[in-house]
Amino acid sequence: MIIYLRSGGKLKDRLKPDVDQYTRRIEVEGDKPLRDILNEVGVPDSLVAFAFINGKLERLEYRPVDGDVITLQPPVSGG
Amino acid sequence: MDGFGGTTLRIDLATGNIRKTATDPALAREWMGARGFVSKILYDEVPRDADPLGPDNRFIVAPGVLTGSFSPVGSKIGFGCISPATNGHADSSMGGHLGPELKYAGYDLIVFKNIAPEPQYLYIDDDTVELRPAGHYWGMGSLDLEKRMKDDLGKDFQIATIGPSGENGIVFSCITHDFGRQAGRCGVGAVMGSKKIKAIAVRGSKGLKARDLPSLTKLTYDIIQRTKTHPNMAPWQKYGTAYFVGWSNERGCFPTRNFQQTYFEDWKGIDGEKLVEECLISDKACFGCWINCGKYSKAKVPGKPDKYVEGPEYETIALIGGSCAFKSIHEVAYANNLLDNVGMDTMSGGSTVAFAMECYQRGIITKDDLEGHELRWGNIDDFEHVIDMIVHRRGIGDALAHGTKGAAEKIGKGTIHFASQAKGMEFSGYDTRWYPAQLLSYCTCDIGAHHSKSWAITADIELGRDTIEGKAAVVIYLQHLRPLFDTWSCCRLFWGEIDVSPEEHVDAINYLTGWDATLEECFKMSEKIWNQNRCHYIERNGGPGRKFDIAPGRHLTEPVPDGPAEGKLVGSENFEKMLDDYYANRGWDVEGNPTREILELLGIGYAADNLEKVGFLGKPIEGGVPAVRGRKLKPMAM
Repeated sequence: MIIYLRSGGKLKDRLKPDVDQYTRRIEVEGDKPLRDILNEVGVPDSLVAFAFINGKLERLEYRPVDGDVITLQPPVSGG
Repeated sequence: MDGFGGTTLRIDLATGNIRKTATDPALAREWMGARGFVSKILYDEVPRDADPLGPDNRFIVAPGVLTGSFSPVGSKIGFGCISPATNGHADSSMGGHLGPELKYAGYDLIVFKNIAPEPQYLYIDDDTVELRPAGHYWGMGSLDLEKRMKDDLGKDFQIATIGPSGENGIVFSCITHDFGRQAGRCGVGAVMGSKKIKAIAVRGSKGLKARDLPSLTKLTYDIIQRTKTHPNMAPWQKYGTAYFVGWSNERGCFPTRNFQQTYFEDWKGIDGEKLVEECLISDKACFGCWINCGKYSKAKVPGKPDKYVEGPEYETIALIGGSCAFKSIHEVAYANNLLDNVGMDTMSGGSTVAFAMECYQRGIITKDDLEGHELRWGNIDDFEHVIDMIVHRRGIGDALAHGTKGAAEKIGKGTIHFASQAKGMEFSGYDTRWYPAQLLSYCTCDIGAHHSKSWAITADIELGRDTIEGKAAVVIYLQHLRPLFDTWSCCRLFWGEIDVSPEEHVDAINYLTGWDATLEECFKMSEKIWNQNRCHYIERNGGPGRKFDIAPGRHLTEPVPDGPAEGKLVGSENFEKMLDDYYANRGWDVEGNPTREILELLGIGYAADNLEKVGFLGKPIEGGVPAVRGRKLKPMAM
């Protein structure tokens, strides 16, 4: 299946976008949690606070489905 | 003077004299406002033996250079004084709308001295500046008073208030504005209360003149357009800071039961997801902001009246929720409202109650000390009762009114071991036993332990949590970068979350003022402020500086008992090594005293002269001061 991962900031440097400046297309083999997919593509899951999918928060245990557009939200502190 | 209101107010509360002078352009250019103004004025004017709650302390209200501009987003205002919690430099800022309103009325800086004979409030309506009687407001809660004053003066006034906590000198009292924005830290509300200033009400209609309005407008427009499509914008808008609970917990840094643990088993009940699902009424924004990360919420706790509150934000959830072990976001929101209205910082307030709860758990505080009540983890009635004892300084509440360090000194029995504070100010909402850079950040921070001056949790993750290698240099870099936003008086989150660069902020400053500032120059100014505050602290408290950079016992000697960080501990030896590294990287001597070389390099040779007089000028260091202090690192997540 194909999913799309998106992020800005320095997470983007690890994500290596190829669709537009924020987005990378990923081909995923089998059914697996997002955490495993992130580690496979070189994005440290420890620096992703949560995933944002279809306007909703999902944890990294979420199992993506074909066509998902998944924003990776970094932790941030202190405005 | 483009970009500034043009006028400084000097107010002598003993005589009621209000003096208006033109804001000094040289002061503005060199220190850029807010934290910079506060540092310079406190250093120059406050006698070193002045009581923080006495007449010789100054209470300073100072927006910064970007306050009132839309780019990118100048919503903030700084408050400063010598802190009653730390006995050192204090600056604390808030968003909302007060800062822009003050500049639009024409004012860049207000300096209060002495003590008013009776409660008063400062009334500003453009050119009209008056001290008005506030006896009829004295005793009111912060939120209640803001609403009352809006009714009395008009809804277009922007109002900052203190509550009974500030009136009674509780050292972690805050200043509240906009029904939920706080200058929370350092006890600025207690100093405002000691001056008998109950509120500041401002209406301004003059606007602000920009030197190059077309360029400033274009910069802002481009940033807005760019950030609207930034992928991290929508999640940030929806969840604000509260979403961070789950991540922090999973990383083993979520303060739990007064930092006894770092993983809270009931975190799902107090997470941001729960806040949005069950409490959220609407999003809320500060002046000029298009993110709206504030969350206006309703707390429904069985047996209690419903309460409305802005938040809770992450720090409040961590230090009231996790640290006092509340299982429901409604209880955290209720407690948030309670502390907002009495006028207490939810961070230090939450931590102080958590400290007292641990004292109760250990039998050090008993029902006899609590007027027959208990003080159980996660019990909202117990929490409410002990807060009332603190606000009114009854019994054990009088000891707790001094914060965890002051209370531990009064209670004794080894309780200082579990007072999670540095220099008298409580830790922010991150345990440090697996986070050496954050531990160093807290213990060397110029205002006491506070994450906003250096948040290094993600730097620790990126560089390795089990090593201290290279951490000191990164902490120094963060201690120069993050406080710049306090000095400029704009929100840090645009930089941290959606890629608005510090260079763009400097461009905005130059378009606004006509200056030729560079980011490199701003870093040097930030380093100058840091060093000046360090010298001031040593001059006030004696030296050497190293004796104040102390980590709490628990954080040096107790491995984390369970959870993801089980067994982790930075330890004393590593902490001392990091301090050595930190001082060397700053150009300070091994005792933590700044040297003449670094102070003269930064243009504050006068501080070297003063340190020399008190006998704590740093000894010259071998090889001289490093050419670059700090190591640039933008962690992958901020």
